[in-house]
Amino acid sequence: MVTASTMVAIAVDGIAFGVFLALLGVGITLVFGLGEVLNLAIGTFAVMAVLVASWMISSGLGLVVASVIGVVVVAAIGLAADRTLLSPAYRLQGEQRILLGIFTTLGLTVFLDGFLINGINLAFLGGPRLIPAFPASYQLPLDLPTVSVGAAVLRGSSLIVIAVGAVLLAIMFLFLQRTFLGKATRTVFQDEVGAQLVGVEPRRIRTLIFVLSVTVAAVAAIVWALGHQVSVSSGFQFTTFALIVSIVGGVRSLTGAIAAGLLLGLVNQFANFFVGSYVASVILFGAAIVFLLAKPEAIS
Amino acid sequence: MTALPRDELRNLGIAAAILLVAPLPVMGSSYYLGVLIHVVVFAMFAVALNIVFGETDQLFLFMGGLAGIGAYGTALFTNWFGLSAWLTMIAAALFAGLVGLVVSWISARRNFTVVLISILTLNLQLVITEIMVGARDLTGGSTGFTYEEYFSLEAIGGVLGLGPELLIYYISLILLMVILLVYVWLVNARFGVAFDAIREDELAAASIGIDVVRYKVIAGFLAAFVFGLVGPFYAREASYILPSAFTFLTVDVLVLIVLIVGGLRTTLGPIVGAVIVVAIEEILGATLTNWRTAIFGILLIALFLYFRRGVVRFAADRLSTLDGVGSGGESRG
Repeated sequence: MVTASTMVAIAVDGIAFGVFLALLGVGITLVFGLGEVLNLAIGTFAVMAVLVASWMISSGLGLVVASVIGVVVVAAIGLAADRTLLSPAYRLQGEQRILLGIFTTLGLTVFLDGFLINGINLAFLGGPRLIPAFPASYQLPLDLPTVSVGAAVLRGSSLIVIAVGAVLLAIMFLFLQRTFLGKATRTVFQDEVGAQLVGVEPRRIRTLIFVLSVTVAAVAAIVWALGHQVSVSSGFQFTTFALIVSIVGGVRSLTGAIAAGLLLGLVNQFANFFVGSYVASVILFGAAIVFLLAKPEAIS
Repeated sequence: MTALPRDELRNLGIAAAILLVAPLPVMGSSYYLGVLIHVVVFAMFAVALNIVFGETDQLFLFMGGLAGIGAYGTALFTNWFGLSAWLTMIAAALFAGLVGLVVSWISARRNFTVVLISILTLNLQLVITEIMVGARDLTGGSTGFTYEEYFSLEAIGGVLGLGPELLIYYISLILLMVILLVYVWLVNARFGVAFDAIREDELAAASIGIDVVRYKVIAGFLAAFVFGLVGPFYAREASYILPSAFTFLTVDVLVLIVLIVGGLRTTLGPIVGAVIVVAIEEILGATLTNWRTAIFGILLIALFLYFRRGVVRFAADRLSTLDGVGSGGESRG
């Protein structure tokens, strides 16, 4: 018999995973809603922040500074990717654009995966090791105590993910609701031609939101990595989960993505506990397929 | 029955002749024979993708999964029913074809866009991968099992005086040529006209009486059947079957690159693409094995941004400008 306190602990872990997925899913949703580019590299961007941070820590920096560097590096690479790789996609229309977006971000994922596994080593030219290789799993060092609430023992790392995630989501909502740029973003979201007529430049908004989305993903992954192991191959896995969250949430709906993230996080954690991780994954991907079949208009 | 175009047949004949003698210079080197089998296997995958994606715009991103169904299915059917793998591989391929048929039928009936099909099939791919890893009793999980034993070739090999590797190579080469002939026949029969019309404008195609669903389903079934059929060859070439050989990143990405490098909707594109991609793999393999993934990532991006026409069409254009006359060989699309 599973006690209620165990159930509460699983639920909290599930909500934490859900918040993490929601943060990535919202990124996919925003970018797709703005410009119909499906960012299949978002998980890899997220993981990259963790890897850079752990590299900085191992070269002597503190956790906070290292994390900031990780996030900034990811934001910079995101900006570069948007200006170079996504521009050709934005020049196309309709299905062509969606396809090119899929292939370039997919290619970027494959490239970054290969790159991060290898690093850059100039030893064979007599030079230094510029960027280390990341062949293993990495976790950011922070001792988080468990928190007892009544009889339930909750993981501190899960609570931190939930707290930071909630703050990030709140900031994103405030940005979209209250600021001029946020309003401009929603205008493009709803009516691109209308936005252009009132002087909003869609391309700049798209760049801004793409960089914002990978930055949020980077922060989310760093907080996630305080309590979990992350490896290069986690990247594509995160992307597929985020994609499912975004699809189930209705690709153009932010609140939908958040709700879907929480739901999937909980389902995943409970399924993990009761039927094992393999069946849990099958349930998760199966749910996405059922949803796609039931509501295909969500993504087209 | 439409007569097949002469120049297409001539090109196919030349390709077949080259591949036929390809093992001669490396006779006795089982390593290079393995490389050649790899080329043929990926060429076959690419022809299948060409049929379903190139001709009817259904982007199947569960190619690895379908090949896995074929490969695991062959072994399982053999274990269960005690039949020869040469028989069960047909059954397994039919099963894979059925999966493709259902996916195509649902997608076509419900007017799924190419993006929706790609995401749907990507999720199917992930489910299949999970099952291959998770259903340990059936698949041996992530440790797999040896695959060589399923295709006994001693009997035939003894008669012909060929080693098992060489025999596998020639069998897969014959299979490739059969698949390519079917492809050439398809696009030159009324199927080809229907495919073109569907790709241009589905609504317009339907309005002039083309049964869009039927043609898409046929293409989906055929492609999935080929993936299922080639799967066992792919596993046999590795001599050991593992779930990691059938993932999205190991099969689908590579097949996409092969087809785009060679040229979408060209007959020889899959062969040319497979030769180029496998050659790149081998060159990297000698010096920079680890960089394989990174380089294929760059290749995927660069190809889709700048070289969507493919080598075959590019070469045909170059030749025709040199000659001052149209070569006509790759006029389609």
